[in-house]
Amino acid sequence: MLSDKTDTWVPVALSQDLPTGQAMPARTPAGPIALWRSQSGRLAASADRCPHRGMRLSHGFVRGEALSCIYHGWTYSQAGQCLRIPAHPSLTPPETIRVATRSVKEAGGIIWVADGAPDDNPPLFEGYVPLRSLTARAGCSALSVAAGTKAAVEGFVWQAPGAPAIRLLPIPQEAGETLIHVLVTADCSASERIAASRAAESLRRMAERIEAKGGVS
Amino acid sequence: MIDDAMRDEWYPVGLFSRLDRDGRETTLMGGPIKVALDANGAAKVTGENGRVLPVSVRYGHIWSSLGEPKKPVFPIPEADQPGRRFVDVGVVRVRCSPLRAVENFLDIAHFPFVHTDILGSEPHTEVENYKVEIREEEDEVWATQVKFYQPQAAKSASGGITTEYMYRVPAPTCSVLYKTCPPRPGEWDVIALFVQPLAEDLCDVWPWMALFDDETPLTDLIHFQQTIFLQDRSILENQIPRLLPLDPGMEIPTRADLTSVAYRRWLKRHNYTYGAQLVAQ
Repeated sequence: MLSDKTDTWVPVALSQDLPTGQAMPARTPAGPIALWRSQSGRLAASADRCPHRGMRLSHGFVRGEALSCIYHGWTYSQAGQCLRIPAHPSLTPPETIRVATRSVKEAGGIIWVADGAPDDNPPLFEGYVPLRSLTARAGCSALSVAAGTKAAVEGFVWQAPGAPAIRLLPIPQEAGETLIHVLVTADCSASERIAASRAAESLRRMAERIEAKGGVS
Repeated sequence: MIDDAMRDEWYPVGLFSRLDRDGRETTLMGGPIKVALDANGAAKVTGENGRVLPVSVRYGHIWSSLGEPKKPVFPIPEADQPGRRFVDVGVVRVRCSPLRAVENFLDIAHFPFVHTDILGSEPHTEVENYKVEIREEEDEVWATQVKFYQPQAAKSASGGITTEYMYRVPAPTCSVLYKTCPPRPGEWDVIALFVQPLAEDLCDVWPWMALFDDETPLTDLIHFQQTIFLQDRSILENQIPRLLPLDPGMEIPTRADLTSVAYRRWLKRHNYTYGAQLVAQ
């Protein structure tokens, strides 16, 4: 299981799931974040809460190099500074109006976020490429039981009969759910990728059945 | 038992026009209640263990309370004005504090972003200064001289106009809005928001209107308001925290938020804290 230490990189999303000019919600051990990619392609992450009225910034919209809250259009830079308050167009927002930001890095098709500023780079999984993400209504321990192996920091490799080996990165979420990124080897054919996707789904169902029966203590 | 001044206030618990002898099971401030017609055709509300609760029928809705209201349901003089059309919009359930639902109703700065091309549109985002006061005699929050540019202010409006608004908060979970009436310059359309607190973080919102509009079909009027409130719901269910923070520090108001500031101050003054968060967490 991934460490709860704040100076650790967390794989919050796959690069392919966050297009240019869009925002999405994600989580780190410190709580919910708004993850967004500017028009020029730069990634940024901040606390998922506009300090004005508490609206989730992950519901906001990206214009140029800034993220705006969907409620009143308050606009924030990648560094978290409030740039604009549309209700008062001639006002320069004071420097005290800002959102807390997180460190972000993109490596191997995966977006990594850290609450602090880790010294090291996020891990690279040589030979693997991201396939998809899915969310299981089960905890990491139920997932470990279903897979018959312990989920480690770098995730774990699992193979279903008739499917290629897949690497899974489990990240604990709210309410006992687990976000799972699925990676396949770079040489997989289209049909092998489909088989790998189905294998990940079957593992998810197994973990959910174990969780529903009372989970694992 | 709820130890809060809000216990002794009136709340909407259903539409009178929809009521029958079989009645309606609903919830008021965490407790189950039943709203029904009695043998004489009068509204009757009962709480747990069959306890008979206060009842009033006003503005198309049945009102009740878990406590002992000290005053009748607040007045809306326009409800008795001839020529107005009264519209029961229905109900929208929202997973948020009832106080957050009212505060959102008092806010105009969100129009261009949440009700885009209906109640507001960029670049017309500026909120000009307006007047806010707590009227001591009526014990109500009032905002007046509120002006905003709107692409389609009402179902009866064609094209953009600068609309003038007045807002009243006569009860902790109710607000009455007066706005420029396109077909009748000099008169005000009335749109009220009656909020039923189901729990501190869950409410049923009952909008009600008293309009000068004999043209627009009823379905269109209801559809217009439902559209607006569903857009608001997408905001209200995603605010953190769910409860309304009454202590400063948790959120940052600006001049455009003076109505909200007065509303929060008025709530705190009266110990109206059901659905509020008192200490920043």
